[in-house]
Amino acid sequence: MHDRLDHDPMKYDPRKDDPRDPDETSLGAALRALPAGAPARDLWPEMAARVRRRGAVRKAVWFTLPAAFAAGIALTFAWPQFHRHAAPPTLIPVATQTPSHAATVTAAKNDLGALQASSQQWQAWVQKLDRDGAPLDGRQLTQAVALQDRIGLVDLQLSAARNPSTTADLWQQRITLLQQLGLLHLQPYLVATQRPANSDHLISM
Amino acid sequence: MDTPTNFQQTVEPDLVARLQRGELAAFELIYRRFERAAWTLALRLTGRADVAQEVLQDAMLKAFERARQYRGEAPFAAWLRKLVVNEALMQLRHDRLHVIEVFDDTLAVDESPAPWMHADAATLERALHRLPDAARAVLWLYHVEGYNHVEIAEQFGRSVSFSKSQLARATKRMRELLQPQLQVEVTPCTIGSTTTP
Repeated sequence: MHDRLDHDPMKYDPRKDDPRDPDETSLGAALRALPAGAPARDLWPEMAARVRRRGAVRKAVWFTLPAAFAAGIALTFAWPQFHRHAAPPTLIPVATQTPSHAATVTAAKNDLGALQASSQQWQAWVQKLDRDGAPLDGRQLTQAVALQDRIGLVDLQLSAARNPSTTADLWQQRITLLQQLGLLHLQPYLVATQRPANSDHLISM
Repeated sequence: MDTPTNFQQTVEPDLVARLQRGELAAFELIYRRFERAAWTLALRLTGRADVAQEVLQDAMLKAFERARQYRGEAPFAAWLRKLVVNEALMQLRHDRLHVIEVFDDTLAVDESPAPWMHADAATLERALHRLPDAARAVLWLYHVEGYNHVEIAEQFGRSVSFSKSQLARATKRMRELLQPQLQVEVTPCTIGSTTTP
């Protein structure tokens, strides 16, 4: 993409290929003569507070990020195991079925509780990032809205789910979506610290 | 070229270096130096003081956080100005203020004398703020910031003809708004309107 700031604007005249008639030139002169404005109040204190807050959030993010990845990996490995526990016994003799089934249901409930607690923690983390973190750009915002829609859909399915296995599946989906949403909110930090200087076509020079 | 947004100031390399090291004091110096320029540019592009304030803060914050991406190949002020323009156009898209009016008119050549040559600043500013968002932003980028149609089209993610038609209509509308005998309402947007993504 052509970047108009890859040159010195004081030396390069972009208008050389773009001739303007005298009327247009006079409109330009009139607009340029408009006096500069200023914000109604001094905005620096707010700006400084925002910078400090962002610094604090960034530190928190870098402490949280490894933990978040670890939690995500742990969940990924633990999930099949959990799924086996939650599955209803099929080849258990009838005589022993009742206590085993009860034990499995209890385990499933405990696991369900753990999933719900985990979902709450992820949600709180995402909300904190959303509130205090970097603003998302247009593309990220679209992705965030799509993820939020999917979370809303999962919530709707959860409200109708009766089967413990389905419920657990849905809670896990919810957690995964929240993790994706959280990582989306972290992208500006990853970009700011990791991306090479010339990779952002909008602002690089 | 004199510009009211005053992004032609030179920023000392050591001040930029301090900013790149994340020094808040350096950031304050730069912020204060460009606050009015950035705010004015944001206001001209968005047409709203509250949005301009948001643009100013978001763009300045990006300048602070991405200062290390600035490689010094162009004036720092120009880099900062680019951030402000990007942020303002993003706000226009995000807030869906960015309504592109379709005028029910023909773009006949107007031979009457240019009314802006005799308009005072307040009248000119009022007329500017009555333009649709896209038209006003294109007009400002073209006439004041020195963008050409290709560059404007890239900024908006639209075609060159979009830029040209918005400019032509903005110019015509400015003429209508500033001509005393036509200051009785001119009705735009009778065909419909579209909103950019």
